Amino acid sequence: MNKLSGIISKIQHSGAILLVDVDVDGQNFSAMLIESATRPEWLETGHNIELVFKETEVSLAKNLSGIISMRNRMKCTVKHVERGELLSKISLRFLKYTITSAITTRSVDSLDLKVGDETEALVKANEVSLMKKQ
Amino acid sequence: MANDVIYIDVEKRMLTANGPMNLDIQTTIPAGELIALFGESGAGKTTLLRILAGLVIPDKGLIRFGNTVWFDSAKQINIVPQQRNISLMFQDYALFPNMTVEQNIQFAQPEKNQLALNDLLEMFGLSEFRKRKPNGLSGGQKQRVALARALARKPQLLLLDEPLSALDAEMRATLQDEIAQAHQLLGVTTIMVSHDLNEVFRLASQVLCIENGTITRTGKPEDVFLDNSISGKVQITGQIARIEKQDTIYIVTVISGNNQIIKVIAFENDLENLKIGDRVMVFSKAFNPIISKLR
Repeated sequence: MNKLSGIISKIQHSGAILLVDVDVDGQNFSAMLIESATRPEWLETGHNIELVFKETEVSLAKNLSGIISMRNRMKCTVKHVERGELLSKISLRFLKYTITSAITTRSVDSLDLKVGDETEALVKANEVSLMKKQ
Repeated sequence: MANDVIYIDVEKRMLTANGPMNLDIQTTIPAGELIALFGESGAGKTTLLRILAGLVIPDKGLIRFGNTVWFDSAKQINIVPQQRNISLMFQDYALFPNMTVEQNIQFAQPEKNQLALNDLLEMFGLSEFRKRKPNGLSGGQKQRVALARALARKPQLLLLDEPLSALDAEMRATLQDEIAQAHQLLGVTTIMVSHDLNEVFRLASQVLCIENGTITRTGKPEDVFLDNSISGKVQITGQIARIEKQDTIYIVTVISGNNQIIKVIAFENDLENLKIGDRVMVFSKAFNPIISKLR
């Protein structure tokens, strides 16, 4: 899984649905959650937490223009491409973090992804989990 | 009723299959609740139940039911089981084979009460079997009679030791509902030994987890068993059965607690400290899974 450290900057809720904003080194991320019966003590504004999302939920784009619904956008540099027959793994540098995206090898080809390329990684807010900082 | 909190502070040296063990329990049980004792076999659950019933004498400690002292080693007080007004029910129902269903229940009544008997027969769907003898009944029906008999005594404390573990899953679910209803109606403080998570979630308002003779966790089942250090709401615990590299990723097969086979895609960094046989939690967000009715 991919992990980023951040600070909860805002929590909005409607019934049991929460939209949590997290600041990661000055960049805003959003996570959509369902609330538990009792809210854990770490899920409060100002708390240091970890953002967690799966490699297979990270979409990649090059020269993206226009508007898009995905709330979590990371400007990255391609560090490594591991080509599989159908599925490829792309390691990316984002700020001080390394994140991984798993996309089809077909997409790697159509984006012509190579080491050193500037690319944007995108994750939907409802694919992001929050984790208590270990 | 507020007084009827059970205060327990006991120690008992036990011999188990894994050698000697010290049962060391301090807890309070609120009145009118249904509490589950959860843990592996040999953890001390049944011994604790038997200590409460007065069938096993602790080495030292204090047990108080409300303002009544049941056991106090310092003052050498030990109230005999018959005077504790408790019903204890095990997995084997031990009904009187020569008595009918209603005679079995009546036998436990402190004084004959036809109205209360009818209520109990009704509550457990036994009215049409009232004149039958136990060996003409199914396992589920026998267990219903045993429950009705345990409640007929009007106990101030009901102790259930894995009462449903001999029944098949469907019958178990039905009886769980009936126990829940009976508990709601009668409000008898109930302590139930169980190692069935599903049962604990369905019935218990609180759970005490016992490991190696001590209570390790207590609280509402949801708080105790759901890992709240992560926001993912779909949480399954299980054991890794297989790890296969496929293409650029790994497919991990996990067998869940109720023997469901789950396959999860994983990456190298997920597997750094994982190997076959490890107990793991598989989690997902409430947003991802798709639900569909079983045929």
